[in-house]
Amino acid sequence: MKEPLIRIDRVVKVYHIGEQDFTALHEISLDIEQEAFMSFVGPSGSGKTTLLNLIGGLDKPTRGEIVCGGTRLNDMSREELARFRRENIGFIFQTYNLLPVYSVYENVLFPLLLNGHREASVRRQVMDMVEKVGLAPEAKKNPTQLSGGQCQRVAIARALVKNPSLVLADEPTANLDAENSLQILELMREMNRELRAAFIFSTHDERVTRFAQREVGLEDGRVIWDKRRNGVGEWE
Amino acid sequence: MIRWIYLGIIRDKTRSLFPFLVVSAGVSLMIFFLGFMDGIFAGMVDITANLDTGHVRFVNRPFYEEEYLNPMDRALAGQKETGQWLKENADRRVSWSPRIRWGAIMDVPDPQGETLHQTPVVGMAMDLLSADSPELARLKLADSLLAGRLPEASHELLVGYQLAQTLELELGRPVTLLGQSFDGGLAADNYTVVGFVKFGVSAMDKKMALIDLADAQETFYMEDMVTDWLGYLPAEVGYMDYPEIQSRLQERLAGLLARPPAEWAADDEPMVLSILDQRNFSSLVRTFEAVKKIVIGIFLFLMTLVLWNAGLLNGIHRYGEMGLRLAMGETHRALVFRLGLEAFLIGVLGSLAGCLIGGAIVYYLQEVGINMGDAFAKTGLMLSDVTRGRLSLEGFVMGIVPGMTASVLGNLIASLAIFKRSEANLFRELEAG
Repeated sequence: MKEPLIRIDRVVKVYHIGEQDFTALHEISLDIEQEAFMSFVGPSGSGKTTLLNLIGGLDKPTRGEIVCGGTRLNDMSREELARFRRENIGFIFQTYNLLPVYSVYENVLFPLLLNGHREASVRRQVMDMVEKVGLAPEAKKNPTQLSGGQCQRVAIARALVKNPSLVLADEPTANLDAENSLQILELMREMNRELRAAFIFSTHDERVTRFAQREVGLEDGRVIWDKRRNGVGEWE
Repeated sequence: MIRWIYLGIIRDKTRSLFPFLVVSAGVSLMIFFLGFMDGIFAGMVDITANLDTGHVRFVNRPFYEEEYLNPMDRALAGQKETGQWLKENADRRVSWSPRIRWGAIMDVPDPQGETLHQTPVVGMAMDLLSADSPELARLKLADSLLAGRLPEASHELLVGYQLAQTLELELGRPVTLLGQSFDGGLAADNYTVVGFVKFGVSAMDKKMALIDLADAQETFYMEDMVTDWLGYLPAEVGYMDYPEIQSRLQERLAGLLARPPAEWAADDEPMVLSILDQRNFSSLVRTFEAVKKIVIGIFLFLMTLVLWNAGLLNGIHRYGEMGLRLAMGETHRALVFRLGLEAFLIGVLGSLAGCLIGGAIVYYLQEVGINMGDAFAKTGLMLSDVTRGRLSLEGFVMGIVPGMTASVLGNLIASLAIFKRSEANLFRELEAG
């Protein structure tokens, strides 16, 4: 049995809103395997985004423990968490969040610059990633010159260029039409296999769940189901 | 990363154009104001020094203490020996000029020798007849002549053009100077008016006459005597350096006082002054420096305020980008540092543009100037009619430093909001686009 990439152990997250406490997650425990391709599904307010926040080191649990790649996130300072995200996690957002004044190439380059690389030493790596997502001819274009699907491909390239162990994607297909959604999901699945990075989605989109190899249902901050596909692609 | 920031600045006009314009305008205005103020002040220092005080002055204390009475009996003898001592002991950059301040009644007779006009005049005697005399260039006498010529022979006199108008003088007209001799007697001597001079200072144009030093010594029975030794320093030596040059010479003066020239009177006690000790200049300098600091302070404050505002707008404009960068693992500290670096680069570019614009305006003022003679005519101050700017390294530094400071400071104050931004909300914020 392989060591899980992420171990979530009896995690509770309570938000203090005014004088009231709101419990967003109740005693969640999950193990997420390396190279997983899975989704959190559930209605708004079910705790999907809170869980992504905790896994991505953007927030800390009120109780319980999150261990990612052998590192306990609870004990990390703000700076250490930033470094952890910088080195280990790629993010993909519903609205792409590309930097509009920089080209496709430069957007993909950016995470590597943040990690202290010099452009000259990673130029090939960046171009390879741009080619992988099928945007080599558009490398010099600005995001404003691209379609929504192309923008999301740039976001995928940007998330993956630093070879993260985990990619967190919040509603990655929500802004795309059916055809583009399909292409993006196929691309992410391909990257998942090729680069061996785990993908975790938070989504309402049924198209995403068709690609997911594991699906965790959330409601009112609790896990209400956790299902996996078997060898022939059917839910167990 | 620097290249990355630079590309962002160049491509995203909303993040760079307004701060760039504010810094450019601020720096150019600062350089202009400082250059203009420096120009006026330096012009005042130079014109006062050239006509009256020197940058440093060697004068007999008894004469200086009653200077307003022009007590020629307290002039300093031993001109040659004193001049030699000054040359050997003063800062090598000082050029010394012996002068005699005199006062007399100028009598203008009619062809029958009867008095037509009479008025008191103040005068200065200096070397006007030597071909290599630096005084001619120092007072720009050739350029200042409105009519006539410079003195070429003994007993020729130059007068301020307004004095000439008052006395209805004509070129070649003989006038008589009636004054007090060195030993208290009556001194009277005839001179020929050979030129009308526009000193560019209304007070002098109305009252001033210039004669040769040797003529003054003869007229006022002051053989081998002068009232003043005026020392001049090159333009690169600023007025704040004069006191040091003065005090070094004053220290050496003790040696001369111990063994004074034989011609000196027993109670002669020469002293060394700088222009700052005279005509209340030191208080003027203090005021001038204080005004400069206030101007710089106001500019710094206003620029910081505007750039802070610009930084806040920029923060709103780039809210999504900042959130993304935090999510991707850039620390708050690094993000603020990079924004500061960005502001620094904008400050550099804005300062360069500001230097070019402000420098060009001050250069024009320095070389061409603005004629403000009408405005100064009635002030009686020793101000040149043509107001000039003055380009100086200090002016550029004092323009650039507040420009850069305001740029970085304004941005950093605006960036403080980044520290308050919680990563826990980034997903929601970024989903909002």
